[in-house]
Amino acid sequence: MTLADLVDALELQVRAGRARLEREVTGGYASDLLSDVIANGRPGDLWITLQKHVNTVAVASMKDLAAIVLVNGREPEEDTVRKAEAENIPVLVSRLPAFELAGRLCGLGVGRMG
Amino acid sequence: MTLEEVCDILEAEVVAGGNLCDIEIRTACGADLMSDVLAFSKSGAVLLTGLTNVHVIRTCEMVELAAICFVRGKRPPEETVRLAAADGLPLLMTGLPMFEACGRLYGRGLRGCSENGR
Amino acid sequence: MPSTRITKTQEMVYEMKVGEVMTRQVITVRPDVPMSRLRGILRQNRISGLPVLDGQRLVGLISLEDFIKWLADRAEDGPIRQRMTQHLEKVSEDDPLVLAVGKFDKSGLGRLPVVDRNDPTKLLGILTKGDVIEGLLKKLEIDYQQEQIRRHRTAHVFFEDVQADRTALVLQYDVKGQDFGQAGASSSRLKQTLHRLGVGPNLVRRVAIASFEAEMNLVVFTSGGTLRAKIQPETLLLEAADSGPGIADIACALEPGYSTAPDWVRELGFGAGMGLPNIRKSCDRFEIDSALGKGTRLTASFFVNENFHDIS
Repeated sequence: MTLADLVDALELQVRAGRARLEREVTGGYASDLLSDVIANGRPGDLWITLQKHVNTVAVASMKDLAAIVLVNGREPEEDTVRKAEAENIPVLVSRLPAFELAGRLCGLGVGRMG
Repeated sequence: MTLEEVCDILEAEVVAGGNLCDIEIRTACGADLMSDVLAFSKSGAVLLTGLTNVHVIRTCEMVELAAICFVRGKRPPEETVRLAAADGLPLLMTGLPMFEACGRLYGRGLRGCSENGR
Repeated sequence: MPSTRITKTQEMVYEMKVGEVMTRQVITVRPDVPMSRLRGILRQNRISGLPVLDGQRLVGLISLEDFIKWLADRAEDGPIRQRMTQHLEKVSEDDPLVLAVGKFDKSGLGRLPVVDRNDPTKLLGILTKGDVIEGLLKKLEIDYQQEQIRRHRTAHVFFEDVQADRTALVLQYDVKGQDFGQAGASSSRLKQTLHRLGVGPNLVRRVAIASFEAEMNLVVFTSGGTLRAKIQPETLLLEAADSGPGIADIACALEPGYSTAPDWVRELGFGAGMGLPNIRKSCDRFEIDSALGKGTRLTASFFVNENFHDIS
């Protein structure tokens, strides 16, 4: 499943990285602790988090994550959007809480292929 | 669903409050940031989190959550277990990552705490 | 909880006396009344048995069962005296209910005459199993109502019944800065105290959220400060005060997600920039004053009355 498919299926808002929405999502990772994502995130993961500050982009880029999804309708900071565009990391926004978004992604089959 | 069912679904181990397994779990919340737990959780929810410090217990006490399940195989330190036991708050731990733990519970019908729920 | 209810009922069976639940207005019958008239008497009064009185003296008990037996025996009509139960289990007014319950069990009877302790032929009333159950249920209900009233009162004492021109109960907690191990402990104590004072759970929860966030701010950003809850008849005021370093841009700090917290704080699950927004969201009125190098004073007001009646 591609990011674009998920954007459609879950009504996600795209805030940065529109050019890379054709990327395949191979798994999901939900965490608000950067050190944890650095340790356990896998390339191609969709990262679900409440953290909206700029450091998330560095982590996503370093771990080659597919995208960052902010939950609970949280909007990324300006810095974050700017850095994400520069690093070509898609930043998405969902109105759902993390639990619900992870639940629906699993329901769509994300996370069972990697 | 009951806490015992949550425990089965997540293949979790009961770390504290084993006598409370028949309590009813109404909703769930997955977060590592305690402010978000304070802002978005509903009382009676189970909190899925990767943090195991005592503040997690205090946070849950503030908003009267029903139980905590630590994810990513993180075992809580003794101090955390002790405080939870004193508060009568059941603790579980599962080796599953947060994403999958949410997925399994959601797939079995448990719902999240909506943003407006306070 | 069912378990405490049972314990409560058991306790009541020991505490309550027969006299509290028995029926005093007793329908009786004379021993020379013929059996053939018994059916009419029982039916008319909608009862299934009654004591037999010879003058003022209790001499026996006659029941529907005796009547049915009489019919089945196809015996000739005769006075009730001949078919009544004469060896009676009796109870006194001041016997505990548990004794009566035991006698019901042992005898299999549906009713027990209540007699004078000094004169066992003097009838004072009648006790049925129904009386016992009804009495217990009433008592449980009264206890429950009294409990509700008591809880209501406690809250009243601090919020409405206080008679003075100026009244306030102040709970103050000293919060140490940078002591992450103890962070949140003061809010925990405040929350428990508010509960004990009978403050409604919804209000307690809102105050607790605000207090917890304010306490975290004191711990993370300052060298310490105080947390005060001022409980007044109409309002609960939560104040957090410190003496530095102050907030550079309050408008930014109120923006959800804006944070100046160091990474180590974030890794502990805090510092996500939701503290002040959370406090503002949970209270009815929010004020903050801050001067760089001088300190910050935050006041969150909660209006008591709107939340007051949710005691549950």
